[in-house]
This record gives sequence, structure tokens and C-alpha cells, in this order.
Amino acid sequence: MLHIERLTASVGDKTILDGLDLDIAAGEIHAVMGPNGAGKSTLSNVLAGRDGYTTTGTVTFEGGDLLALTPEERAAKGLFLAFQHPVEIPGVGNMYFLHTALNAIRLVRGQPEIGAVDFLALAKEHMARLDMDPAFLSRSVNEGFSGGEKKRNEILQLSLLEPRLAILDETDSGLDIDALRVVGEGVERLRHPERSMLIITHHPRLLEFVRPDRVHVLQAGRIVRTGDHHLARELEAVGYGAAAAR
Amino acid sequence: MTATPAGLLDRLVPPSPPSPRAERGRDWLAAHGLPTTRDEAWRYTPVDDIVGALEAAAPAPASTSQVSRSVVDALAGDHGGPRLVFVNGVFEPRASDAGGAVDGLWLGNRDGMRARPPSPRAAEDQPADGFQALNWAAGRDVAAVLVEPGAQLDQPVHVVHIAAPGEDTTANHPRTVVLAGPGSRVHLIESYVGLPGPSVTNASTRIVAGAGSTVTHHRVQDEAAAAIHVGRTAIDQGARSTLRATSIMTGGHIARSALAIGFDGTDACADIDGLYLPLGHQHHDNVVTVDHRASHCASTQRFTGIVDDHGRGSFSGHVLVRHGTTGTDAHQSNRNLVLAPTAQADTRPWLEILADDVRCTHGATVGRLDDDALFYLRSRGIPLEQGRAMLVAGFAAEIIDAITPATLRDRVAAAFAAGRGG
Ligand SMILES: Nc1ncnc2c1ncn2[C@@H]1O[C@H](COP(=O)(O)OP(=O)(O)OP(=O)(O)O)[C@@H](O)[C@H]1O
Ligand SMILES: [Mg+2]
Repeated sequence: MLHIERLTASVGDKTILDGLDLDIAAGEIHAVMGPNGAGKSTLSNVLAGRDGYTTTGTVTFEGGDLLALTPEERAAKGLFLAFQHPVEIPGVGNMYFLHTALNAIRLVRGQPEIGAVDFLALAKEHMARLDMDPAFLSRSVNEGFSGGEKKRNEILQLSLLEPRLAILDETDSGLDIDALRVVGEGVERLRHPERSMLIITHHPRLLEFVRPDRVHVLQAGRIVRTGDHHLARELEAVGYGAAAAR
Repeated sequence: MTATPAGLLDRLVPPSPPSPRAERGRDWLAAHGLPTTRDEAWRYTPVDDIVGALEAAAPAPASTSQVSRSVVDALAGDHGGPRLVFVNGVFEPRASDAGGAVDGLWLGNRDGMRARPPSPRAAEDQPADGFQALNWAAGRDVAAVLVEPGAQLDQPVHVVHIAAPGEDTTANHPRTVVLAGPGSRVHLIESYVGLPGPSVTNASTRIVAGAGSTVTHHRVQDEAAAAIHVGRTAIDQGARSTLRATSIMTGGHIARSALAIGFDGTDACADIDGLYLPLGHQHHDNVVTVDHRASHCASTQRFTGIVDDHGRGSFSGHVLVRHGTTGTDAHQSNRNLVLAPTAQADTRPWLEILADDVRCTHGATVGRLDDDALFYLRSRGIPLEQGRAMLVAGFAAEIIDAITPATLRDRVAAAFAAGRGG
């Protein structure tokens, strides 16, 4: 599904990703943990296609060169990034946004458009599962949403857009205990043999709801250690410095 | 301002039935002349181009055969209520629908006004500037909307001013007067539209909102591509009156809209919105003055500019809080979205606070499209151009969404999308 080889990314003369290798097979869930500033969000951004980075190395997604695609092409191909800091977009209605995004992706995939009435029903169904008030549909995208509400809105998009590879950048931070469970269970429900996930987190809690196949430690722009789900607990116990040294 | 040479004056001001107002306008113009860019209030406006076009202009033909009801529908819409149509500044009864008898409402033009007893509140003694003086001197008719005390009008009153140029540039000077009696409620839509061709429209509107009245005023300037538009709207508000005003500028080549609001009684409030969208080589200027000359009044200005291509947009907002008043609440914001490096947005707040007990805020921004927001939309599969269009529409949404009725809101949204190629 995703194959990253010797990826570097820099901004100006600052190198942020420094020769990163990562392989995710279809259906696998990988967690990436690492200290602040390690380059986790940079990795998500580079994968999703944000410009401003100079990159070397290769990223192959579903057999094609991911880095050659525009952000919208990546989305249509099935890549989804749940942002660490979802953007507020005043004046653009959340429902209109979600509906437009879904139809844009369906258009590229050769699927018929979904009309407004059917979309509303679909959105409400997904929101109910995420314990989200339908009132969030009539507000502007993320505008004035609390931190946790923004994260839920990301998961709503994730579940509506049904991507092949979902990257969750600290979707669990800022969530209260109940919300963490709702989101964790929501993500777990999306587990599918044809869907992979890359979960960036600082907390092992989320990984109790969504058990990862692999856990990676990202430090100073590269993967320094990889293990199974026990690694998350170990990291919490001994810290990144000691864990990386083993 | 300098005196207007007599020859030029004769060309600008054709012989018209003399009225005291026309005479005052002519005298004022002879003494003070038209503004120049050296006048503070005209610094952003290419006033030389406007004066040049006026000098070259023929008086607009009163012939109106091109303007049928369906033409008016297409240009300005049908918003449900009575509609008064003026072509080149002259009443066109065949395209109008004065609405039979609506209780508490009188609609008409100069002929009808002459038959009525003069209303003392309608009098303005001096023009505010040379263009208004010219409007008085050269104007040939007036649109009058008189609302009786206490009348509650449900449907909007639509006044449509159509510029219908001939081969050459034509000049017309539409005038509108609205008197909302004490305790009345009225919703006025003023549309400035036109047929293709070069025209100069020099409009003057006066609204008197009586004590305790509720007035909604939407002004839409969507004239043809070669049109020049100079408009001035003066609104005087009585005690406890409520005004909701919106000025939309989408059309014309050079367009300037001045809005002067004055509080004559206490506890009145005014919400003033504006949206302007210069594209291509369009030039849109807004000049707003809110005169807090009475205590305990509240005003809020929200003006949004979206400039693209070689377009130029400006906002000058003057808030004056007079000496001796108390309890003023005045807010002003001007947001600009600049979509091309060749486009320009100017913003000039001017707060003149001569009293102590005042709550006053203002803010102005000039920015580009938000790259983070655009990336967010694209990361969800929305193509670049569509994402841009969504963000631009989102920037204008707070102004457009507040427009009533829905027929007018949809029309403005459609004009917006068409101009933006959407
Ligand atoms: N555009 C940029 N210009 C300069 N430095 C940048 C830029 N973007 C990121 N960085 C730097 O790169 C490093 C990695 O940032 P990144 O956001 O990827 O970290 P992170 O691992 O996601 O951290 P956190 O856990 O705090 O979210 C940081 O030191 C950051 O300051
Ligand atoms: Mg991060």
C-alpha cells in the first residue's frame, strides 16, 4: 500500500525528515510515536501533498509515485490526513464542504454524485455513530469548534470519505476520556483488509482501542526503532531516549 | 474644489424646469465646482475620468422603448413588492408596478409629488458635494417612497434605476427620496443597473427614518461594464430608529458609493454592510460616514472587498462622535481579499472621537487567500480552482447571507459567482 524509502524533507536549509523508511501493507495499522519536533507532522504533510518542502527519496502509494500527485489527486486515490490542527474556514458551511469533497472524490472514482438529500441522511448516520450533534453540519468548517469537536469532525470526514490510507496526526490529543473512546471505536470500526492506517500519537490510550500491528519511534527525522504494540507501553515507561537506545 | 466655468456648467446642466432645488444645485456648482482627487473624500476615485466622461456626455435620451418589464426582471429581479422603474433618471410607468393601494404607502415620481403637500422633513438645504449639486441641477425626476407613521410594510419596495445609453456616453442623474414615518417599517431595495454602453450615472438618495422606525435598505450597483457610477446615499435617523443597510457593488467600470448616516435622535442603531468586487480593470470605492451627533446610538460597519486582476477597491470609513454626546457604541471593520498581485485594496479608517463615554472598535485587514485553508480543501479531494472559489465565496458569505429577501440574496450570489467565473 505505502512504501517510503530514504525520504528526506527540508524547508530552507533545515532538514526535517532525514532518510525515513516505512512500509505499510494493506489492512495494517501502524503507530508512529516520537518526541515533539521529531518530524511526525512533517511526514503527514509531505504525504498529503502540502507544498513548501524540498524532498528526496521515493514514496510509492498503491503502486504509483505519490509525490508526483497534487493533494486532490492523492485524496481521490485514497489518501486521507486527519490534521493535527484542523483549519477553520469561516463562511464555508461544513455540510457543503463535506458534500463537495465526497462528490469530488466520487467523480474521480467514476461513482455517481450523491444528491443533497441522500448526503444529509448519510452524514447524519455517520455523525450518530460518532456521537456528534447534526448542528455541526450547519456551522462553518471548524469555526469556533472546540479542540475535541474539531478532531471529531476529522473522524467524520475520514468515515465519510472511506480512504485506502488514513493518517491520523494526534487525533487523540485534546479529546476527553469519553471522546477518546468514541473516536477510538470509530477508528477501529474503519479497520478493513483493504484499508491501512498510520496513527501518530503521544499516548498509548488510543492504541488500546485501536491495536496497531506495528509501532515505530520517529526521532530526528527517521524511524529509529520498530516493534509491536508492547512498544507503546515501554515508551511510556522509559521515555524516547532510553527506548531508542535499545 | 473650484468654481465651474460657465460654458462647462451650461453643458453639464441642460435647461430644465426650474425648481428651487435645481437652482440651488446650479448655484452651488457654479460657486464650488466638482471635486478633484485633492479632496480628501475623493482621493481614491479617478474623478478626472468621471468629469471627463461627464463633459463628453450627451444628456440621456428619455426614450425608453428598449426597457420592458422582462428587461427589468432580467436586470434587477422581481422581489415581490411594488416596483418603480426609472430609465435614465425618468419614471417609466409601463415597466413599473406601483402596487395598487398598499396601506400606508405612497409611491410616485415628481408629477405625483407636486400634487402632494410638501413634506418639511424632505428638505436638504445644501448639497454635500459637486456631484450632488449636479444631481439637483440636472436631475429630471425623483423616485419617492413615502411611508405613513406606523405603517408596517411586509413586502420590499423596489426602486430600479436603469442607465440606457445610446451610441455616445450618456449622463443621467437619478434621485430617490424615502420618508419612513415614525414607528413605520419599510424595506427598500435600490437597484442600479444598465444596458450595455457607456453611461455616467450620478445618483442621489435621501432617506429619513422617523422616530422608532425600522428601515432596511439594500443598494445594489450592477451596471454594465462601461458604466461610470457616482452615488450618494444620505440617511438621517430619528430617535430609536433601526437601520439595516447593505451596499453591493459588482458592476460598472468606475463606481463610487458614498453613504452618510446621521443620528438625529437618541437610542438609534445602524448596521451597515458592504461588499465590493472589482475585477478586470474595475474600480470600486466606498466612502462611509457615520455621524454620532446624538447620544446612545450604536453603529456597526462591516465592509468586505474582494479585488482581483487589475481591480482596485477602497474603503474609507469615517466615524464622527460629536462633542457633548454620551454612550456611543461604534464599530467598523473592513476586510479585503487580494487575489492577484496586480489588484489593489486601500482601506482608510478615520475615527474622530470628540466625546468621552464611547465604545469604539475598528479593524482593517488586507490579505491573500489562506493557503492552509486551501490545502485543507484540496486534501479532501476538492480541486484547486473549486477550492479557491469556495474560499472566495466564503469570504463574502457573511455579507451575502444577511441579505433579504431570498430573491435578492440569490441574485447577488449569482452575480458574485458569475463575476468570479463560477
Ligand atoms: N515550515 C517550516 N519551517 C521551518 N521549520 C519547520 C517547518 N515545519 C516544521 N519545522 C520544524 O521541523 C521540526 C518538526 O516539526 P513537526 O511539526 O513535523 O514535528 P512533530 O513531530 O509533529 O511535533 P509535535 O509532536 O510537537 O506535533 C520542528 O522542529 C519544526 O519547528
Ligand atoms: Mg505534530
